[in-house]
Amino acid sequence: MSLKGTDTRPDESVIVELRHITKRFPGIVANDDVTISVKKGEIYALLGENGAGKSTLMSMLYGMYEPDHGEIYVRGKKMHFRSPAEAAEENIGMVHQHFRLVENFTVGENIVLGVETVKRVGIFPVLSMKGAYDRIRELSKSFGLEVDPEDLISELGVSARQRVEIMKMLYREAEILIFDEPTAILTPQEVEALLKIMEELRRSGKTIILITHKIEEIRKVADRCAILRRGKLIDVLKVQDASTQEMANLMVGRNVVLNAEKPAPHFGETVLEVEKLCVRNEDRVQVVRGVSLKVRAGEIFAVAGVSGNGQTELADAIAGLRKAESGSIRLMGKDISRESIRERNGSGISYIPEDRQKYGLFLDFNLRSNLCLRRYFKAPFSRQGILNEAEAERYARDLVEKYDIRSGQGTETQVRSMSGGNQQKAIVGREIEEHSPLVIFVQPTRGLDMGAIENIHRQILRERERGAAILLISLELDEVMELADTIGVIYNGQLLKTADAGSLTSHEVGRYMMGVSG
Amino acid sequence: MPPRGKTLEGGRRKGKTPRGFRALFARILVSDRFGHLTVPLFCILLTLFFSGILLLLLGKNPLVSFYSFLQGSGFAKKASYGNGVGMLSDFFAFLNICAPMLLAALAFIFGYRSGLFNIGIAGQMLLSGFLATIWVGYSDLPGILARPLVLLIGMGVGALLGGCVGFLKYRFNIHEVVSTIMINYIISYVTGFYINSRYVNQISRSSNVCSGASRLTFTKVNIAGYSCSVPLGIGIAVLAALIVQFILKRTVFGFEVRAVGSNRNAALYSGVSVGRQMVLSMMISGLLAGLAGVSYYLGYTNTIIPRELCSMGYDSIATALLGSSSPIGAVFASVLITIFQNGASYMSSTVGVAREIASVITGVLLLFSACGGYFRKRAEDYLKKLEDEEGGEKA
Repeated sequence: MSLKGTDTRPDESVIVELRHITKRFPGIVANDDVTISVKKGEIYALLGENGAGKSTLMSMLYGMYEPDHGEIYVRGKKMHFRSPAEAAEENIGMVHQHFRLVENFTVGENIVLGVETVKRVGIFPVLSMKGAYDRIRELSKSFGLEVDPEDLISELGVSARQRVEIMKMLYREAEILIFDEPTAILTPQEVEALLKIMEELRRSGKTIILITHKIEEIRKVADRCAILRRGKLIDVLKVQDASTQEMANLMVGRNVVLNAEKPAPHFGETVLEVEKLCVRNEDRVQVVRGVSLKVRAGEIFAVAGVSGNGQTELADAIAGLRKAESGSIRLMGKDISRESIRERNGSGISYIPEDRQKYGLFLDFNLRSNLCLRRYFKAPFSRQGILNEAEAERYARDLVEKYDIRSGQGTETQVRSMSGGNQQKAIVGREIEEHSPLVIFVQPTRGLDMGAIENIHRQILRERERGAAILLISLELDEVMELADTIGVIYNGQLLKTADAGSLTSHEVGRYMMGVSG
Repeated sequence: MPPRGKTLEGGRRKGKTPRGFRALFARILVSDRFGHLTVPLFCILLTLFFSGILLLLLGKNPLVSFYSFLQGSGFAKKASYGNGVGMLSDFFAFLNICAPMLLAALAFIFGYRSGLFNIGIAGQMLLSGFLATIWVGYSDLPGILARPLVLLIGMGVGALLGGCVGFLKYRFNIHEVVSTIMINYIISYVTGFYINSRYVNQISRSSNVCSGASRLTFTKVNIAGYSCSVPLGIGIAVLAALIVQFILKRTVFGFEVRAVGSNRNAALYSGVSVGRQMVLSMMISGLLAGLAGVSYYLGYTNTIIPRELCSMGYDSIATALLGSSSPIGAVFASVLITIFQNGASYMSSTVGVAREIASVITGVLLLFSACGGYFRKRAEDYLKKLEDEEGGEKA
């Protein structure tokens, strides 16, 4: 490894050192003998695909998990973090992918939560917020964070909430700041602003560890970059000296083979036709704005885009989970925009939802019930409203075998106890088995390990072979480039560009995703 | 529950699964197959233990006290009986309270399984009991007409009330706990007003009693030489338990009820019409509460005390939880809780403890049964910790 020399020699400027870290979870080695050292005042990026073990590695530095093997050194001292609180004492802070804020508290209250200044009036302890607010304003000014301590969290957008999270760390005098995929939920402009804030933080001497799978961000701000693949440290590069291509190759670890395996397309009739579709979200904001698209049989139409640009709502509207405000949805020539969810399923839609635990599964039910979710109300699974358990069991066993769904106690297993990959296999199996003319996949490989991802990708291609029209919505540009026949880039609720996958490079798609048209 | 020393001891052992009494005990509580039995049993044992201590502190023999509960409810022979009454009479008196308790618990279970917390059972019982009383109880209808009519009114009124709560939730997103508590008060005051102004008995200060023909309990029935009050309600209640069990376990409708209760988003995704399902579940919950109401007010008490919600409406929640919110479990739970409630007066007269002590014991039982989930969770956490330690040592 290129920086091995610096690892062994004691170095004054090294602030965090992880040595030979190994962490196992049931059935998976999340980190395998990883050694990295981070210097004070640098932006150190951890690059890797989903499931490469970046977040796990940092969770150990942050005290969320303890490593099975290996040692953690902070400022040259060996550490045994048992909780995030202990890590915080060493001035380590983390901005999580999912924010941890109290909605109906003000920004200031959220920031001081847990470290409040308390004055005493007589014998009564009284919360003193004024000093805290002044300090927040001061910090906000010096780092260009633009947060007003008196705003309510519930009134703030995503990027402002993220700034509050950053402020929370600064208020606790964190010196080592970990950002876990901070840009996944931001629009391009917000990403720019965030990267600027990071540079500002570096200038003031903070150390930043940036977890990401986006090479562009690393190129913009990071000094050094460690690349992880399947839990192993592949290399540590100086960002200045490395090319994007080089980093990408190291991250993926091989040339993209799936493209080669993908047979030539055979397009059939138009299956799905969406015209000028508009959808509002629960806050009554129009998030899908006049989207029109066509998906033919045997075609994978991939919607690419940065998260939060309306793609989930688009899929929900087609499947019926969300009402369309205007526009039409036609399935094989029939307008289905007024049909209920069950009628649409019957008309031929299978839907693999983005949030498999919130929508796709009943975690407290057994695998059998979950596998029969599309059929339990139909004969022979039930007659006159009475369930036929024997039939359900037979069908569930078939699916378990066919889709290689692994679980502790077969069809009796409570789905909650299954791994994410197997949960997803169960959903995909259940939906594919309907042989629907249209299959919608939303983020089908989110959070899965490499093996499961390949499995799901194979299933998607097999469906394409069968002649299904496939609408694939993914935030992973690589996934889109690998699988798509046609790419539609969604930005701010509109399809900015729709074109043949072959005619677009991933770079171009990336540009459209950032809202650059033409 | 597990003190540190014990935990370490468990961790030091070798082998795949943690052993030792403590771990075994935890595993019994967590077990998928027996958990629904062992957890309530554990709650009952705890109750007996704590109330035993309480009785000892009062200077009474706990075993004699517990036995006298059984005697009072007709499960064991008393020392002496009055003229024409016997153990059988006590047992039927016990069934008279057990019937509405079971029905009320079933009402709670049905709502609970669909994710709705029906805390309005007391109100639903009161209104259906009240309307059945004034419409049928005070009429001259013959029994053959009156009794079915009472049951129909009970079911209808309860279902309407429940459906109304479900609709408020579905249409306006008003939380069912809030709406049912408010509706409870409204019903209590409105019926109280009518009873006091129109139907009050000047001596008892309670409503006039219903006609014998409309009453769901047949009084002074001679069985084997003993005079017994035979409640129609108990048959209805047991039948209802079986039907509810069948609906929840074996029907498409029941599956969807449980689906909505388990994960509303996933239910929506699977094409269940969640709103319809919520309204229907609440209607059925209300219907069962209505049946509980008529078998309570037109069976057990035969009169209504104005402006008073019966405590059974709330006790039934704990009964349902003690029965692991399963209909069959509720049968056993309501028997047990009713033994304590019904046997109280005999216990107090034989052992010489204030009647209120019996209520304390029931209270302790209800408290512990409401904690059943907590005990289970503790056991789960403990086992997980043991496993982690084992895993850590192996690695």
